[in-house]
Amino acid sequence: MNDVLTTSIGEWQLANPVMVASGTFGYGLEYTDLMDISRLGAISVKGISLNPRLGNPPPRVCETPCGMLNAIGLANVGYDVFVNEKLPELRERGAVVIVNTYGTSTEEFAELARRFDQADGVAALEVNISCPNVKSGGMHFGADPAAAAAVTAAVRQATSLPVIVKLSPEAPDLRAVAQAVQGAGADALSLINTIRGMSINVRTRTPRIGPVFGGLSGPAIRPIALRMVYEIYQVVDIPLIGIGGITCFRDALEFFLAGATAIQVGTANFKNPLTAIEIIDQLHEYCIANQINPSALTGQIQISSPNE
Amino acid sequence: MNYWTCTITEIEHLQSGYALLRFSADEAITGEPGQFVMVRGDWGDHPILPRAFSLVETGPHGAILVRAVGTGTEKLVQMKPGDKLFVMGPCGRGYKQPTSRRPVLVAGGVGVAPLLFLADRIDEKTPRPVFVYGAQTSADLVLTDRLQSLASLELITEDGSCGETGLVTAPLARLLNDGVPSEIYACGPTGMLSAVAQIAMRAGTDCEIAFESPMACGMGTCKGCAIHDADGQYRYVCSDGPVFDARQIYGGTN
Repeated sequence: MNDVLTTSIGEWQLANPVMVASGTFGYGLEYTDLMDISRLGAISVKGISLNPRLGNPPPRVCETPCGMLNAIGLANVGYDVFVNEKLPELRERGAVVIVNTYGTSTEEFAELARRFDQADGVAALEVNISCPNVKSGGMHFGADPAAAAAVTAAVRQATSLPVIVKLSPEAPDLRAVAQAVQGAGADALSLINTIRGMSINVRTRTPRIGPVFGGLSGPAIRPIALRMVYEIYQVVDIPLIGIGGITCFRDALEFFLAGATAIQVGTANFKNPLTAIEIIDQLHEYCIANQINPSALTGQIQISSPNE
Repeated sequence: MNYWTCTITEIEHLQSGYALLRFSADEAITGEPGQFVMVRGDWGDHPILPRAFSLVETGPHGAILVRAVGTGTEKLVQMKPGDKLFVMGPCGRGYKQPTSRRPVLVAGGVGVAPLLFLADRIDEKTPRPVFVYGAQTSADLVLTDRLQSLASLELITEDGSCGETGLVTAPLARLLNDGVPSEIYACGPTGMLSAVAQIAMRAGTDCEIAFESPMACGMGTCKGCAIHDADGQYRYVCSDGPVFDARQIYGGTN
């Protein structure tokens, strides 16, 4: 559009701070009938593993109050198919691609980072140490500061791409994880991934999600996500990408004020795939009207009396 | 794929919580029988996910058949002409075009929706379709006058309150025994689809079945609507279907 919304995540320059969250926007190419995907600040693609993954037994999604549960299990086409069949078209269309990576070991995360470092058309990596729906890796890394730091350090060594680490709200001490990840060389943090929840069909007395637990997302978790962005903003110096139930421009502003430099739209993409585009347009209007860059909002919540 | 901002033009309230919603946008609503749309009203954050509905009509107006069974569908049937409706579509793979064989359409409950559209689209070159329509009770059989005008209608209810007593499989099996070359198009509960598929495969009759599944995106991105196919692999209702060849899901190799 122009540079009113230009955003920096470390060295990485973005046209605007509005991204779409991994798992809610496929590989981006599915949406080209509906919008110019190059307008999005970035697209965090569906989590990619070294090998294709089939995902969990159904049912994998169900609706909950102002949100949804999912237990997809990181079903994805794998590194080769992504790089050969998706990335070239994404590049051609001018999409800014964040590759969300998932490994079951530190070595796998590092190997993915090494490979994507050489791939043409990748703007940044988002290290997914926070998926609640897989048996190994995922959230287990994200819950423990030492393990999270080890994955981050290995990825950092393997690539010169910007490294974003996606945090889990289930970490017993999220501040410790965030600081450890920053110390291990992450360029930015994205938060939050989903929170485990469950739902029961009382007629059949069966869980409404195949693996019993699923990750809760949507506006239902927004206040929790906002609180965590606010908390983490107090203890780290690297930029934060706020995620959690953002459905409109006002929600996005809340996250900026709490401490986010950029935001990701997730579940709301299902409600309306044009949500992120609409937020970009409204943010643009707002920034022109107020003669500011969105970065001027980051962490600008006004609290009259300290709440410590 | 389109994301249409629509206005509801007409709501035809039918019995048993069913309603036929007609809507229009700035442009024509497109789609083929068996394809679906993701639909949501302008109602804030709950329910947040759109609902998938088979298209029943396309053109200057689109139409869907809604049965109020939960929060989202309740809200939809209570909408009024003039209300805003967000419609994304057409989604998924529809039914194959009927050939010169006799089309046998088998509907269970709200599964009548895509087959009503299909019956409406069958032209003079194709033999007059047979429409087998089953439900629990007579009040659950909707739009039968319209179906009567499009096909030879055979009604069946589990409680015997209308037409034959029993399940759609009985008239279907009888029909396939009469020796007329046929092809089957089905939509209904999973148990019914499985039974119809078995009958079709035993008779060596081509059979296309339309599935329903909880889904979020409607376009193949979230991977939420997985079902198992005959080889134990996952297929996605929204992007591989919702219409599948019966053998793909129930037959294994043949």
